[in-house]
Amino acid sequence: MSDRWTISLGRIAIVLALFALWETLSRFGVVNSRLLPSASDTFGTLADLLQRSSVRSDLAVTATEVLTAFALAVPFGGLIGFLIAENRYFADVVKPLLFFAFSIPKSIFLPMFILVFGVGFSQKVGFGFFSTIFIVIMSTATAVESVRVEYLTVARSYGATRAQTAWRVYLPSMLPVLLEALRISMIFNLTGVILAEMYASRDGIGHQIASWGENFQMKQLLAGVVMVAAIAIAFNEIIRWVETRCSHWRT
Amino acid sequence: MKASTLRWLIVSILIALWEILPRAGLIPELFLPPLSVTLIAGFADAGEYGQALLVTLYEVGLSMLFACGGGILLGAVIGSLPRPRVLIMPMVSSLYAVPLVILYPVFTVWLGIGPESKIAFASIYGFLPTMLATAAGIQTIDPQLLLAARSMGATLSQRLVRVILPAAIPTVLSGLRVGGALVIVGVVVSEMLISSAGIGYLISRYRTILDSPHVFAGVLLVLAMAVAFNAAIRWIERKCAIWQTGTRGAQAAADDISGAIQPAT
Amino acid sequence: MQPLANVTPLRPAQRAGAIEIRDVGQVFRTAGAEVVALSQVSLEIKPGRFVVLVGPSGCGKSTLLMMLAGLREPTSGSILINGTPITKPDPDRVGVVFQEASLFPWLTAEENVEFPLALRGIAKAERRAKAEEALKLVGLEGFGKRHPHELSGGMKQRVSIARGLVQDPPVLLMDEPFAALDEQTRMTMGDELLRIWAATGKTIVFVTHSLTEAVYLADEVVVMSARPGRIVDHLQVSLPRPRTYEMLSGDVFGSLRDRIWRHIRKSA
Repeated sequence: MSDRWTISLGRIAIVLALFALWETLSRFGVVNSRLLPSASDTFGTLADLLQRSSVRSDLAVTATEVLTAFALAVPFGGLIGFLIAENRYFADVVKPLLFFAFSIPKSIFLPMFILVFGVGFSQKVGFGFFSTIFIVIMSTATAVESVRVEYLTVARSYGATRAQTAWRVYLPSMLPVLLEALRISMIFNLTGVILAEMYASRDGIGHQIASWGENFQMKQLLAGVVMVAAIAIAFNEIIRWVETRCSHWRT
Repeated sequence: MKASTLRWLIVSILIALWEILPRAGLIPELFLPPLSVTLIAGFADAGEYGQALLVTLYEVGLSMLFACGGGILLGAVIGSLPRPRVLIMPMVSSLYAVPLVILYPVFTVWLGIGPESKIAFASIYGFLPTMLATAAGIQTIDPQLLLAARSMGATLSQRLVRVILPAAIPTVLSGLRVGGALVIVGVVVSEMLISSAGIGYLISRYRTILDSPHVFAGVLLVLAMAVAFNAAIRWIERKCAIWQTGTRGAQAAADDISGAIQPAT
Repeated sequence: MQPLANVTPLRPAQRAGAIEIRDVGQVFRTAGAEVVALSQVSLEIKPGRFVVLVGPSGCGKSTLLMMLAGLREPTSGSILINGTPITKPDPDRVGVVFQEASLFPWLTAEENVEFPLALRGIAKAERRAKAEEALKLVGLEGFGKRHPHELSGGMKQRVSIARGLVQDPPVLLMDEPFAALDEQTRMTMGDELLRIWAATGKTIVFVTHSLTEAVYLADEVVVMSARPGRIVDHLQVSLPRPRTYEMLSGDVFGSLRDRIWRHIRKSA
């Protein structure tokens, strides 16, 4: 127990030290404070930004896009992943293709989404969906395959129906893996939407960050970076926390 | 039919559709120009694309050096020291959740829109996963191997050179694969966002003037680059196949990791 | 690879390999708590004997072996091999064979056997000659160029034994070396080990979970109890050598095994 406390304290100390370093670098003029506004200034600006209705609506736009893309990609990808994993032959055919699709940089297709959808909501959601779907398919397939054959054999030998097997064997034993898959999919999804916003968009927090950068508004830019990073990390940590809660399933 | 036959059939059909659908007018040529038109557009301006490719390759090469070199080195150090590992690793993987693209504007403000900002961004982009993969892989080294070496009187440096380094090779390779792929993404993305040279820049420029064939020619070039890189790494991995058979679980672990941290966008 | 009839070992009188364990204790510290793994263990092993350590899981028999190998220092007491204390790994005096073959997967069988010699900078030709000799001794002549993944479990353990013997140390320590093998391979490897032991006259300290294996192989069986680990019995196996499969069903064998089992059941 005491060990865990020391570790947490150590981590907090590291984070504080980094912020302190940032503060001193800028405050004592080691680096140009116009290029690197101090940490305190940045946090002040962040508080400021959060009051602004334009920033709030940008956040709302991004959140809507992220959630829409996620809500589309997860069930769709999950279904494909499940079907692939269930059928050996199909898996043999498709998996290398998916691996390939997975390993190529998705961002180069961004222009295609603009050409097709124009600049707007559907282009960003479309690209978010496109960046997420492959990882969802891959990780669902992995999750299904991670279910031990023994469990399935046991279930079958006791006469479980297909539905019972899905509900009582697949789902519980896949749950931790699925959560992990959701977490990672969300990372991909968020990155995809934000990139789409930065590339070509009229609203959204990614667009804001890009335009602050173009106008050399360092304070706002850094505040925006901190804000997005904080949101992403918070979401990530929540899922991880749930994951450890469920970890007793995994053996 | 054999799975691989069907697979190649599917690929051929997809390529054929790329040619046929736009020609038949089922897909507007603005969305997807026929493959032949794309290739012709690309070859007509081969000089321009070649120049851009050189710029991009230069940036990719340097970034890879920083990202993979730094990532492998730091990952090996952190992975082999238990205390810092427990302390830092979870923090690094939290950091991994952050969409790093948002850092690129910061780099452009600091370093301008030349190669420097791209190299800085792509290095950071590839660094984290490489480091995570290496650190995780170092842990999968079978402790019995180290114990055995110690029982034979191996000194610390002998253990490092003769046991830890060879045992870490599969991990380092998969780190290289992940990191390298991300570096390519990082360079191309940053070129697409704000830049004045490189393939990403060409793609973006042709996109603004709605010249689809030239956009897709650029896309194909990047694809070829990614595929070539992947093939090169796989070739090296096959050369080192012996390493992977023995280190218990190392390959599985490496695959897990690279599965989890493949190129985001 | 035909196991030769196991013959009574040659024991040159001057051969080193005496082990003295004096009042050895080992305490582990984990997260504030102290665990006494071993307490006041004393044991004397004469050169050339085949001694087997048995006991319930967690009785510290592997820990004791690690201390004999110089891989772990006793918290109290001392260990002498050839009359001098052992405080760090000394491949001149002690060779170790681990549970899983622990061969380096990137080296061939022969390079694995050469490994301890390479560590000491011995010239290639001499290394190769010694490795070849050791591989021949364990019945793996001609398999030197193979990588571990091309060898069966039993063959890997043979390479491992060859590696332990290549520097010709008087003492060979074996930590459950056959635990990962199937029953048949295990029996064959037992006979093989007895043959190698007979041919080399090493002192062998062997840790195992299998009571049958213990009685079948040993001159002496040392029984340990758990938490804290201490020696509860030390029996001489009076069965004649060479040991044969038929002895397994004999009365002597049965009563020895029962006696060990009673100790283990009591302490577990």
